[in-house]
Amino acid sequence: MPPTDYDLIIIGAGPAGSTTARFAAEAGLRVLLVDKRQELGAPIQCSGAISGHGLAAAGIDADPEFIHEAIYGFAIYDQEGERTVHDYRLLKPDEYGAAEGKKPLGYVVDRRRFDRYLMTQAERAGAGVWLKTEGLGYQPTDDGHCTVSLRRYNQDLRLTTRVLVGADGLQSQVGRWAGLQTHIKITELAGCLQFIVDGVETEGLLEIVTGHEWAPGGYAWVFPKGHGYAEIGLGVIATMTDKPAQWHLDKFIRQSFFRRRFANSRVLEVQGGGVPLAAPLRTQYADNLILVGDAARHVNPITGGGLHTAVAGGKIAADFLIGHLGDGLPLQDGALRAYQTLWLEELGEKMWKLYGIKTDIFHNMNIQQRDRQLYATMSDYFSPTSEFKKI
Amino acid sequence: MSKQQPVLFSIGWNACINCGACVAICPQEAGFVSPFDTIAVDRPCDIACLLCEAICPVDTITHVPVLQQVAQPALATALRRTRSAPPTHPGEL
Ligand SMILES: Cc1cc2nc3c(=O)[nH]c(=O)nc-3n(C[C@H](O)[C@H](O)[C@H](O)COP(=O)(O)OP(=O)(O)OC[C@H]3O[C@@H](n4cnc5c(N)ncnc54)[C@H](O)[C@@H]3O)c2cc1C
Ligand code: SF4
Repeated sequence: MPPTDYDLIIIGAGPAGSTTARFAAEAGLRVLLVDKRQELGAPIQCSGAISGHGLAAAGIDADPEFIHEAIYGFAIYDQEGERTVHDYRLLKPDEYGAAEGKKPLGYVVDRRRFDRYLMTQAERAGAGVWLKTEGLGYQPTDDGHCTVSLRRYNQDLRLTTRVLVGADGLQSQVGRWAGLQTHIKITELAGCLQFIVDGVETEGLLEIVTGHEWAPGGYAWVFPKGHGYAEIGLGVIATMTDKPAQWHLDKFIRQSFFRRRFANSRVLEVQGGGVPLAAPLRTQYADNLILVGDAARHVNPITGGGLHTAVAGGKIAADFLIGHLGDGLPLQDGALRAYQTLWLEELGEKMWKLYGIKTDIFHNMNIQQRDRQLYATMSDYFSPTSEFKKI
Repeated sequence: MSKQQPVLFSIGWNACINCGACVAICPQEAGFVSPFDTIAVDRPCDIACLLCEAICPVDTITHVPVLQQVAQPALATALRRTRSAPPTHPGEL
Protein backbone atom coordinates (compact mmCIF):
# COMPACT_ATOMS: atom_id res chain seq x y z
CA MET A 1 0.00 0.00 0.00
CA PRO A 2 1.32 3.47 -0.75
CA PRO A 3 2.37 5.40 2.31
CA THR A 4 0.20 8.21 3.63
CA ASP A 5 1.30 11.54 5.04
CA TYR A 6 -0.02 10.48 8.46
CA ASP A 7 -1.54 7.51 10.22
CA LEU A 8 -4.02 9.77 11.99
CA ILE A 9 -5.26 13.27 11.37
CA ILE A 10 -7.26 14.53 14.31
CA ILE A 11 -9.57 17.52 13.86
CA GLY A 12 -10.04 19.45 17.09
CA ALA A 13 -7.51 19.83 19.91
CA GLY A 14 -9.99 19.80 22.78
CA PRO A 15 -9.62 17.26 25.59
CA ALA A 16 -10.85 14.40 23.36
CA GLY A 17 -8.58 15.15 20.40
CA SER A 18 -5.45 15.89 22.41
CA THR A 19 -5.85 12.75 24.51
CA THR A 20 -6.30 10.61 21.41
CA ALA A 21 -3.24 12.27 19.89
CA ARG A 22 -1.05 11.79 22.95
CA PHE A 23 -1.67 8.07 23.40
CA ALA A 24 -1.48 7.38 19.66
CA ALA A 25 1.79 9.30 19.28
CA GLU A 26 3.29 7.63 22.35
CA ALA A 27 2.66 4.29 20.65
CA GLY A 28 4.55 5.46 17.59
CA LEU A 29 1.71 6.38 15.23
CA ARG A 30 2.31 9.37 12.95
CA VAL A 31 -0.24 11.87 14.22
CA LEU A 32 -1.30 15.33 13.09
CA LEU A 33 -3.58 17.25 15.47
CA VAL A 34 -5.18 20.41 14.10
CA ASP A 35 -7.39 23.10 15.60
CA LYS A 36 -8.86 26.15 13.97
CA ARG A 37 -8.46 28.31 17.05
CA GLN A 38 -5.61 30.62 17.89
CA GLU A 39 -5.94 29.96 21.61
CA LEU A 40 -7.24 26.60 22.71
CA GLY A 41 -10.17 26.56 25.08
CA ALA A 42 -11.08 30.18 24.32
CA PRO A 43 -13.72 31.49 24.41
CA ILE A 44 -14.42 29.21 27.35
CA GLN A 45 -17.61 27.19 27.04
CA CYS A 46 -17.26 25.01 30.09
CA SER A 47 -17.43 25.08 33.87
CA GLY A 48 -14.38 22.88 34.09
CA ALA A 49 -15.38 20.35 36.71
CA ILE A 50 -13.63 16.98 36.41
CA SER A 51 -13.10 14.18 38.90
CA GLY A 52 -9.67 13.18 40.15
CA HIS A 53 -10.11 9.60 38.96
CA GLY A 54 -11.22 10.91 35.54
CA LEU A 55 -7.87 12.65 35.17
CA ALA A 56 -5.90 9.74 36.61
CA ALA A 57 -7.58 7.15 34.37
CA ALA A 58 -6.47 9.12 31.32
CA GLY A 59 -2.95 9.48 32.69
CA ILE A 60 -3.27 13.21 33.31
CA ASP A 61 -1.45 14.67 36.33
CA ALA A 62 -3.40 17.20 38.37
CA ASP A 63 -0.98 19.96 37.39
CA PRO A 64 -1.34 23.34 39.12
CA GLU A 65 -0.87 24.88 35.66
CA PHE A 66 -4.55 24.31 34.89
CA ILE A 67 -6.27 23.91 38.27
CA HIS A 68 -8.49 26.69 39.54
CA GLU A 69 -9.62 24.97 42.71
CA ALA A 70 -9.81 21.56 44.37
CA ILE A 71 -13.25 20.05 45.01
CA TYR A 72 -14.22 17.86 47.94
CA GLY A 73 -17.84 17.00 47.33
CA PHE A 74 -21.30 18.05 46.22
CA ALA A 75 -24.36 19.87 47.50
CA ILE A 76 -27.60 19.19 45.65
CA TYR A 77 -30.52 21.56 46.22
CA ASP A 78 -34.22 21.24 45.57
CA GLN A 79 -36.22 24.16 44.26
CA GLU A 80 -36.82 25.64 47.72
CA GLY A 81 -33.22 25.36 48.89
CA GLU A 82 -33.32 22.11 50.91
CA ARG A 83 -30.05 20.35 50.29
CA THR A 84 -28.30 16.99 50.33
CA VAL A 85 -24.57 17.27 50.97
CA HIS A 86 -21.96 14.66 50.09
CA ASP A 87 -18.80 16.16 51.54
CA TYR A 88 -16.10 13.56 51.10
CA ARG A 89 -13.94 15.33 53.70
CA LEU A 90 -16.53 14.10 56.22
CA LEU A 91 -17.56 10.89 54.50
CA LYS A 92 -14.04 9.54 53.98
CA PRO A 93 -11.81 11.73 56.13
CA ASP A 94 -8.79 9.44 55.82
CA GLU A 95 -8.75 9.74 52.07
CA TYR A 96 -10.10 13.16 51.11
CA GLY A 97 -9.06 16.56 52.36
CA ALA A 98 -6.68 19.44 51.92
CA ALA A 99 -4.09 18.17 54.41
CA GLU A 100 -0.85 16.45 53.50
CA GLY A 101 -1.36 12.83 52.43
CA LYS A 102 -5.01 13.38 51.49
CA LYS A 103 -6.45 14.18 48.11
CA PRO A 104 -9.23 16.20 46.53
CA LEU A 105 -12.20 14.43 44.96
CA GLY A 106 -11.92 16.51 41.81
CA TYR A 107 -11.02 19.86 40.37
CA VAL A 108 -12.37 22.89 38.62
CA VAL A 109 -9.96 23.48 35.77
CA ASP A 110 -9.24 26.46 33.58
CA ARG A 111 -10.16 25.22 30.11
CA ARG A 112 -7.70 27.55 28.39
CA ARG A 113 -4.81 26.14 30.40
CA PHE A 114 -6.19 22.59 30.52
CA ASP A 115 -6.61 22.31 26.75
CA ARG A 116 -3.20 23.82 26.12
CA TYR A 117 -1.62 21.48 28.67
CA LEU A 118 -3.16 18.41 27.00
CA MET A 119 -2.10 19.65 23.58
CA THR A 120 1.45 20.14 24.87
CA GLN A 121 1.48 16.58 26.20
CA ALA A 122 0.44 15.36 22.75
CA GLU A 123 3.15 17.39 21.11
CA ARG A 124 5.79 16.14 23.53
CA ALA A 125 4.67 12.59 22.74
CA GLY A 126 5.51 13.26 19.11
CA ALA A 127 2.27 14.46 17.53
CA GLY A 128 2.42 17.32 15.05
CA VAL A 129 0.16 20.13 16.27
CA TRP A 130 -1.10 22.93 14.05
CA LEU A 131 -3.24 25.76 15.34
CA LYS A 132 -5.11 28.13 13.02
CA THR A 133 -5.84 25.10 10.87
CA GLU A 134 -9.41 24.32 9.97
CA GLY A 135 -10.66 21.00 8.69
CA LEU A 136 -12.77 21.48 5.56
CA GLY A 137 -13.62 18.03 4.29
CA TYR A 138 -12.46 14.48 3.66
CA GLN A 139 -12.72 11.85 0.99
CA PRO A 140 -12.04 8.11 1.32
CA THR A 141 -9.90 6.86 -1.56
CA ASP A 142 -9.84 3.58 -3.49
CA ASP A 143 -6.51 2.58 -1.99
CA GLY A 144 -8.17 2.23 1.44
CA HIS A 145 -6.95 5.57 2.81
CA CYS A 146 -8.45 9.05 2.70
CA THR A 147 -7.55 12.62 1.86
CA VAL A 148 -8.29 15.46 4.24
CA SER A 149 -8.53 19.08 3.17
CA LEU A 150 -7.37 21.71 5.59
CA ARG A 151 -6.92 25.45 5.55
CA ARG A 152 -3.95 26.77 7.49
CA TYR A 153 -3.43 30.54 7.67
CA ASN A 154 -5.46 30.86 4.45
CA GLN A 155 -3.43 28.21 2.69
CA ASP A 156 -5.37 25.23 1.33
CA LEU A 157 -3.74 21.85 1.94
CA ARG A 158 -4.61 18.30 1.07
CA LEU A 159 -3.07 15.50 3.10
CA THR A 160 -3.47 11.76 3.08
CA THR A 161 -4.06 9.70 6.19
CA ARG A 162 -5.20 6.26 7.20
CA VAL A 163 -7.80 7.47 9.69
CA LEU A 164 -9.45 10.81 10.34
CA VAL A 165 -10.58 11.40 13.91
CA GLY A 166 -13.39 13.92 14.37
CA ALA A 167 -12.85 15.50 17.79
CA ASP A 168 -14.39 18.78 16.74
CA GLY A 169 -16.74 19.23 19.63
CA LEU A 170 -20.38 20.17 19.91
CA GLN A 171 -20.62 21.95 16.57
CA SER A 172 -18.99 18.98 14.83
CA GLN A 173 -18.97 19.01 11.07
CA VAL A 174 -16.68 16.02 10.54
CA GLY A 175 -19.46 13.49 11.11
CA ARG A 176 -21.67 15.40 8.67
CA TRP A 177 -18.94 15.17 6.02
CA ALA A 178 -19.53 11.43 6.10
CA GLY A 179 -23.29 11.87 6.11
CA LEU A 180 -23.73 10.80 9.76
CA GLN A 181 -26.75 12.16 11.58
CA THR A 182 -25.16 14.35 14.21
CA HIS A 183 -27.61 17.13 14.92
CA ILE A 184 -29.14 16.97 18.36
CA LYS A 185 -32.83 17.00 19.18
CA ILE A 186 -34.13 20.30 20.52
CA THR A 187 -35.46 18.44 23.59
CA GLU A 188 -31.94 17.21 24.34
CA LEU A 189 -29.63 20.18 23.92
CA ALA A 190 -29.42 22.43 26.96
CA GLY A 191 -28.71 26.07 26.23
CA CYS A 192 -26.28 27.15 28.95
CA LEU A 193 -25.00 30.43 30.24
CA GLN A 194 -22.66 31.13 33.14
CA PHE A 195 -20.99 34.06 34.81
CA ILE A 196 -17.64 34.01 36.55
CA VAL A 197 -18.27 36.25 39.55
CA ASP A 198 -16.51 37.90 42.41
CA GLY A 199 -18.19 38.28 45.78
CA VAL A 200 -19.84 34.86 46.15
CA GLU A 201 -18.58 32.52 48.89
CA THR A 202 -18.11 28.82 48.19
CA GLU A 203 -17.10 25.86 50.36
CA GLY A 204 -15.10 23.48 48.18
CA LEU A 205 -18.27 21.79 46.91
CA LEU A 206 -19.92 21.66 43.50
CA GLU A 207 -23.42 22.99 44.15
CA ILE A 208 -26.24 21.86 41.93
CA VAL A 209 -29.69 23.45 42.05
CA THR A 210 -32.62 21.50 40.62
CA GLY A 211 -36.17 22.70 40.02
CA HIS A 212 -38.25 23.70 37.03
CA GLU A 213 -38.64 27.19 38.47
CA TRP A 214 -34.92 27.92 38.06
CA ALA A 215 -33.77 25.76 35.16
CA PRO A 216 -36.55 24.05 33.19
CA GLY A 217 -35.19 20.83 31.70
CA GLY A 218 -31.72 21.28 33.20
CA TYR A 219 -30.21 22.57 36.44
CA ALA A 220 -28.37 25.56 37.85
CA TRP A 221 -24.93 25.43 39.43
CA VAL A 222 -22.53 27.32 41.66
CA PHE A 223 -18.93 26.13 41.40
CA PRO A 224 -15.84 27.43 43.21
CA LYS A 225 -13.43 29.00 40.72
CA GLY A 226 -10.32 29.67 42.82
CA HIS A 227 -8.95 32.96 44.16
CA GLY A 228 -12.31 33.61 45.84
CA TYR A 229 -14.20 33.62 42.55
CA ALA A 230 -17.22 31.49 41.71
CA GLU A 231 -19.13 30.37 38.70
CA ILE A 232 -22.92 30.73 38.56
CA GLY A 233 -24.69 29.17 35.62
CA LEU A 234 -27.57 27.14 34.32
CA GLY A 235 -28.82 25.19 31.36
CA VAL A 236 -32.38 25.03 30.05
CA ILE A 237 -34.22 22.98 27.43
CA ALA A 238 -35.84 25.23 24.85
CA THR A 239 -39.04 23.23 24.62
CA MET A 240 -39.68 23.67 28.34
CA THR A 241 -39.50 27.45 28.38
CA ASP A 242 -40.09 30.30 25.98
CA LYS A 243 -37.24 32.30 27.50
CA PRO A 244 -33.50 32.05 26.75
CA ALA A 245 -30.95 30.79 29.28
CA GLN A 246 -29.86 34.38 29.88
CA TRP A 247 -33.32 35.31 31.20
CA HIS A 248 -33.37 32.30 33.52
CA LEU A 249 -29.90 33.03 34.85
CA ASP A 250 -30.91 36.57 35.65
CA LYS A 251 -34.00 35.29 37.45
CA PHE A 252 -31.97 32.67 39.35
CA ILE A 253 -29.55 35.30 40.57
CA ARG A 254 -32.21 37.81 41.59
CA GLN A 255 -35.05 35.65 42.83
CA SER A 256 -33.82 32.24 44.00
CA PHE A 257 -33.15 31.28 47.62
CA PHE A 258 -29.56 32.34 46.87
CA ARG A 259 -30.49 35.95 46.10
CA ARG A 260 -28.89 37.26 49.29
CA ARG A 261 -25.77 35.19 48.71
CA PHE A 262 -25.56 36.61 45.16
CA ALA A 263 -26.50 40.17 46.08
CA ASN A 264 -22.93 41.49 45.88
CA SER A 265 -21.80 39.38 42.95
CA ARG A 266 -19.91 41.15 40.21
CA VAL A 267 -19.63 39.53 36.79
CA LEU A 268 -16.04 39.00 35.58
CA GLU A 269 -16.65 36.78 32.54
CA VAL A 270 -19.62 35.61 30.48
CA GLN A 271 -19.49 32.09 29.06
CA GLY A 272 -21.96 29.69 27.59
CA GLY A 273 -22.67 26.93 25.19
CA GLY A 274 -24.77 23.93 24.41
CA VAL A 275 -24.68 20.73 26.42
CA PRO A 276 -26.14 17.60 24.85
CA LEU A 277 -28.23 15.80 27.46
CA ALA A 278 -28.56 13.22 24.75
CA ALA A 279 -27.73 9.65 23.91
CA PRO A 280 -24.35 9.00 22.30
CA LEU A 281 -24.48 8.91 18.49
CA ARG A 282 -25.76 5.57 17.26
CA THR A 283 -23.13 5.55 14.51
CA GLN A 284 -19.77 7.02 15.46
CA TYR A 285 -17.73 5.74 12.53
CA ALA A 286 -17.64 5.81 8.73
CA ASP A 287 -15.04 4.90 6.13
CA ASN A 288 -11.61 5.96 7.49
CA LEU A 289 -13.35 8.00 10.16
CA ILE A 290 -14.23 7.83 13.84
CA LEU A 291 -15.73 10.43 16.16
CA VAL A 292 -14.80 11.07 19.78
CA GLY A 293 -15.84 13.45 22.58
CA ASP A 294 -18.67 15.94 22.11
CA ALA A 295 -18.56 15.26 18.38
CA ALA A 296 -19.87 11.77 19.15
CA ARG A 297 -22.10 13.18 21.92
CA HIS A 298 -19.99 11.40 24.52
CA VAL A 299 -21.54 13.47 27.28
CA ASN A 300 -23.04 12.30 30.55
CA PRO A 301 -26.79 12.85 29.94
CA ILE A 302 -27.56 13.40 33.62
CA THR A 303 -24.83 15.84 34.60
CA GLY A 304 -23.92 17.23 31.19
CA GLY A 305 -20.29 16.55 32.09
CA GLY A 306 -18.21 15.82 29.02
CA LEU A 307 -14.60 16.26 30.16
CA HIS A 308 -14.14 12.88 31.80
CA THR A 309 -15.91 11.15 28.92
CA ALA A 310 -13.82 13.14 26.39
CA VAL A 311 -10.47 12.08 27.86
CA ALA A 312 -11.67 8.54 28.58
CA GLY A 313 -13.05 8.29 25.04
CA GLY A 314 -9.81 9.69 23.65
CA LYS A 315 -7.86 6.94 25.34
CA ILE A 316 -10.27 4.27 24.08
CA ALA A 317 -10.01 5.66 20.54
CA ALA A 318 -6.21 5.69 20.69
CA ASP A 319 -6.02 2.17 22.14
CA PHE A 320 -8.31 0.93 19.41
CA LEU A 321 -6.42 2.65 16.59
CA ILE A 322 -3.02 1.52 17.85
CA GLY A 323 -4.19 -2.09 17.64
CA HIS A 324 -6.21 -1.75 14.47
CA LEU A 325 -3.60 0.15 12.48
CA GLY A 326 -0.81 -1.93 13.96
CA ASP A 327 -2.48 -5.05 12.59
CA GLY A 328 -2.98 -3.40 9.21
CA LEU A 329 -6.73 -4.12 9.28
CA PRO A 330 -9.14 -2.58 6.75
CA LEU A 331 -10.50 0.92 7.38
CA GLN A 332 -13.52 1.03 5.10
CA ASP A 333 -16.83 -0.78 4.61
CA GLY A 334 -17.82 -0.83 8.26
CA ALA A 335 -14.45 -2.05 9.53
CA LEU A 336 -14.26 0.75 12.10
CA ARG A 337 -17.44 -0.39 13.77
CA ALA A 338 -15.10 -2.26 16.11
CA TYR A 339 -14.19 1.11 17.64
CA GLN A 340 -17.79 1.77 18.58
CA THR A 341 -18.14 -1.72 20.01
CA LEU A 342 -15.10 -1.19 22.21
CA TRP A 343 -16.33 2.23 23.29
CA LEU A 344 -19.75 0.85 24.20
CA GLU A 345 -18.16 -1.86 26.32
CA GLU A 346 -15.82 0.44 28.18
CA LEU A 347 -18.00 3.53 28.58
CA GLY A 348 -21.02 3.67 26.34
CA GLU A 349 -23.28 1.07 27.94
CA LYS A 350 -23.21 3.05 31.18
CA MET A 351 -24.01 6.24 29.32
CA TRP A 352 -26.97 4.62 27.60
CA LYS A 353 -28.21 3.52 31.03
CA LEU A 354 -27.91 7.08 32.32
CA TYR A 355 -29.75 8.27 29.24
CA GLY A 356 -32.60 5.91 30.12
CA ILE A 357 -32.80 7.29 33.65
CA LYS A 358 -32.73 10.86 32.39
CA THR A 359 -35.39 10.18 29.76
CA ASP A 360 -37.70 8.64 32.36
CA ILE A 361 -37.46 11.75 34.49
CA PHE A 362 -38.12 14.24 31.71
CA HIS A 363 -40.94 12.22 30.18
CA ASN A 364 -42.91 12.82 33.35
CA MET A 365 -45.18 15.76 32.54
CA ASN A 366 -46.08 16.42 36.16
CA ILE A 367 -43.63 19.16 37.03
CA GLN A 368 -43.65 18.64 40.80
CA GLN A 369 -43.10 14.92 40.51
CA ARG A 370 -40.39 15.51 37.93
CA ASP A 371 -38.62 17.99 40.19
CA ARG A 372 -38.68 15.49 43.04
CA GLN A 373 -37.32 12.76 40.77
CA LEU A 374 -34.53 14.95 39.45
CA TYR A 375 -33.52 16.03 42.95
CA ALA A 376 -33.52 12.42 44.19
CA THR A 377 -31.59 11.20 41.14
CA MET A 378 -28.96 13.94 41.38
CA SER A 379 -28.60 13.42 45.14
CA ASP A 380 -28.11 9.71 44.58
CA TYR A 381 -25.86 10.16 41.55
CA PHE A 382 -23.21 12.04 43.53
CA SER A 383 -23.41 9.88 46.65
CA PRO A 384 -20.49 7.61 47.54
CA THR A 385 -22.70 4.56 46.93
CA SER A 386 -23.74 5.53 43.40
CA GLU A 387 -23.22 2.82 40.80
CA PHE A 388 -22.19 5.54 38.35
CA LYS A 389 -19.30 6.89 40.40
CA LYS A 390 -16.85 6.15 37.66
CA ILE A 391 -18.33 8.38 34.95
CA MET B 1 -40.78 20.75 12.04
CA SER B 2 -42.62 23.30 9.94
CA LYS B 3 -42.23 23.42 6.18
CA GLN B 4 -41.85 27.15 5.75
CA GLN B 5 -40.48 29.40 3.11
CA PRO B 6 -36.71 29.87 3.18
CA VAL B 7 -35.29 32.37 5.63
CA LEU B 8 -32.10 34.33 5.94
CA PHE B 9 -30.70 34.39 9.47
CA SER B 10 -29.18 37.41 11.09
CA ILE B 11 -27.04 37.27 14.23
CA GLY B 12 -26.69 40.12 16.68
CA TRP B 13 -22.93 39.78 17.06
CA ASN B 14 -22.88 42.08 20.03
CA ALA B 15 -24.66 39.46 22.16
CA CYS B 16 -23.35 36.30 20.47
CA ILE B 17 -20.90 34.32 22.63
CA ASN B 18 -19.76 32.10 19.70
CA CYS B 19 -20.87 29.00 21.53
CA GLY B 20 -21.90 26.90 18.54
CA ALA B 21 -25.15 25.69 20.07
CA CYS B 22 -27.02 26.88 16.98
CA VAL B 23 -24.78 24.74 14.77
CA ALA B 24 -25.23 21.66 16.96
CA ILE B 25 -29.01 21.85 16.74
CA CYS B 26 -29.05 22.60 13.00
CA PRO B 27 -30.37 19.82 10.73
CA GLN B 28 -28.63 21.25 7.65
CA GLU B 29 -25.85 19.22 6.11
CA ALA B 30 -22.16 20.02 6.58
CA GLY B 31 -20.99 23.54 5.95
CA PHE B 32 -24.02 25.62 6.96
CA VAL B 33 -21.78 27.58 9.31
CA SER B 34 -20.16 30.98 9.65
CA PRO B 35 -16.50 31.57 10.51
CA PHE B 36 -17.64 32.56 14.02
CA ASP B 37 -18.94 29.15 15.11
CA THR B 38 -22.54 30.07 14.29
CA ILE B 39 -25.01 28.99 11.62
CA ALA B 40 -24.54 30.53 8.17
CA VAL B 41 -25.80 34.07 7.66
CA ASP B 42 -24.66 34.57 4.05
CA ARG B 43 -27.25 32.36 2.34
CA PRO B 44 -30.84 31.35 2.95
CA CYS B 45 -31.88 28.31 4.94
CA ASP B 46 -34.50 26.26 3.14
CA ILE B 47 -35.46 24.16 6.16
CA ALA B 48 -36.46 27.10 8.33
CA CYS B 49 -37.13 25.00 11.43
CA LEU B 50 -35.86 27.92 13.54
CA LEU B 51 -34.46 25.59 16.21
CA CYS B 52 -31.30 27.69 16.27
CA GLU B 53 -33.32 30.66 17.45
CA ALA B 54 -34.88 28.57 20.20
CA ILE B 55 -31.59 27.17 21.51
CA CYS B 56 -29.50 30.38 21.50
CA PRO B 57 -28.70 31.09 25.15
CA VAL B 58 -28.63 34.83 24.56
CA ASP B 59 -31.55 35.01 22.10
CA THR B 60 -29.55 36.77 19.42
CA ILE B 61 -30.69 35.05 16.20
CA THR B 62 -33.43 36.55 14.03
CA HIS B 63 -34.53 35.90 10.45
CA VAL B 64 -36.24 37.46 7.47
CA PRO B 65 -38.30 35.36 5.07
CA VAL B 66 -36.87 34.97 1.59
CA LEU B 67 -39.30 34.50 -1.29
CA GLN B 68 -37.22 32.40 -3.61
CA GLN B 69 -38.65 33.46 -6.96
CA VAL B 70 -40.46 36.71 -6.35
CA ALA B 71 -38.13 38.48 -4.03
CA GLN B 72 -34.63 37.98 -5.42
CA PRO B 73 -33.92 41.70 -4.99
CA ALA B 74 -34.80 41.36 -1.31
CA LEU B 75 -32.35 38.49 -1.04
CA ALA B 76 -29.71 40.53 -2.76
CA THR B 77 -30.26 43.38 -0.33
CA ALA B 78 -30.23 41.02 2.62
CA LEU B 79 -27.05 39.39 1.38
CA ARG B 80 -25.42 42.73 0.88
CA ARG B 81 -26.20 43.56 4.49
CA THR B 82 -24.42 40.42 5.71
CA ARG B 83 -21.51 40.52 3.26
CA SER B 84 -19.17 41.56 5.99
CA ALA B 85 -19.09 37.92 7.09
CA PRO B 86 -16.63 36.05 4.90
CA PRO B 87 -18.15 33.25 2.81
CA THR B 88 -18.25 29.77 4.24
CA HIS B 89 -17.34 26.54 2.57
CA PRO B 90 -19.10 23.26 1.97
CA GLY B 91 -17.74 20.19 3.73
CA GLU B 92 -16.84 18.44 0.50
CA LEU B 93 -13.45 18.33 -1.11
C1 LIG C 1 -21.53 25.97 29.83
C2 LIG C 1 -20.89 24.62 29.82
C3 LIG C 1 -20.39 24.08 30.99
C4 LIG C 1 -19.80 22.84 31.00
N1 LIG C 1 -19.30 22.38 32.18
C5 LIG C 1 -18.70 21.17 32.23
C6 LIG C 1 -18.14 20.71 33.46
O1 LIG C 1 -18.14 21.41 34.48
N2 LIG C 1 -17.57 19.48 33.48
C7 LIG C 1 -17.52 18.70 32.36
O2 LIG C 1 -17.01 17.58 32.46
N3 LIG C 1 -18.00 19.14 31.17
C8 LIG C 1 -18.60 20.35 31.09
N4 LIG C 1 -19.09 20.80 29.89
C9 LIG C 1 -18.93 19.95 28.69
C10 LIG C 1 -17.52 20.02 28.15
O3 LIG C 1 -17.15 21.37 27.95
C11 LIG C 1 -17.41 19.29 26.80
O4 LIG C 1 -18.01 18.04 26.91
C12 LIG C 1 -15.95 19.12 26.37
O5 LIG C 1 -15.38 20.36 26.05
C13 LIG C 1 -15.83 18.18 25.19
O6 LIG C 1 -14.50 18.12 24.75
P1 LIG C 1 -14.13 17.80 23.25
O7 LIG C 1 -12.67 17.63 23.21
O8 LIG C 1 -15.00 16.71 22.75
O9 LIG C 1 -14.60 19.08 22.42
P2 LIG C 1 -14.19 20.64 22.55
O10 LIG C 1 -13.62 20.93 23.85
O11 LIG C 1 -15.38 21.39 22.10
O12 LIG C 1 -13.03 20.80 21.45
C14 LIG C 1 -13.31 20.81 20.09
C15 LIG C 1 -12.18 21.53 19.39
O13 LIG C 1 -12.33 21.35 17.98
C16 LIG C 1 -12.00 22.54 17.33
N5 LIG C 1 -12.65 22.51 16.02
C17 LIG C 1 -13.98 22.48 15.76
N6 LIG C 1 -14.19 22.42 14.43
C18 LIG C 1 -12.98 22.41 13.84
C19 LIG C 1 -12.55 22.35 12.47
N7 LIG C 1 -13.41 22.25 11.46
N8 LIG C 1 -11.23 22.38 12.22
C20 LIG C 1 -10.33 22.46 13.23
N9 LIG C 1 -10.69 22.50 14.54
C21 LIG C 1 -12.00 22.48 14.83
C22 LIG C 1 -12.49 23.62 18.25
O14 LIG C 1 -11.79 24.83 18.00
C23 LIG C 1 -12.17 23.03 19.62
O15 LIG C 1 -10.91 23.42 20.08
C24 LIG C 1 -19.70 22.06 29.83
C25 LIG C 1 -20.16 22.59 28.63
C26 LIG C 1 -20.77 23.87 28.62
C27 LIG C 1 -21.29 24.41 27.33
S1 SF4 D 1 -26.34 29.93 19.73
FE1 SF4 D 1 -26.48 32.20 19.82
S2 SF4 D 1 -24.73 32.80 21.12
FE2 SF4 D 1 -24.33 30.67 20.48
S3 SF4 D 1 -23.08 30.88 18.61
FE3 SF4 D 1 -25.23 30.70 17.92
S4 SF4 D 1 -25.89 32.86 17.75
FE4 SF4 D 1 -24.01 32.92 18.98
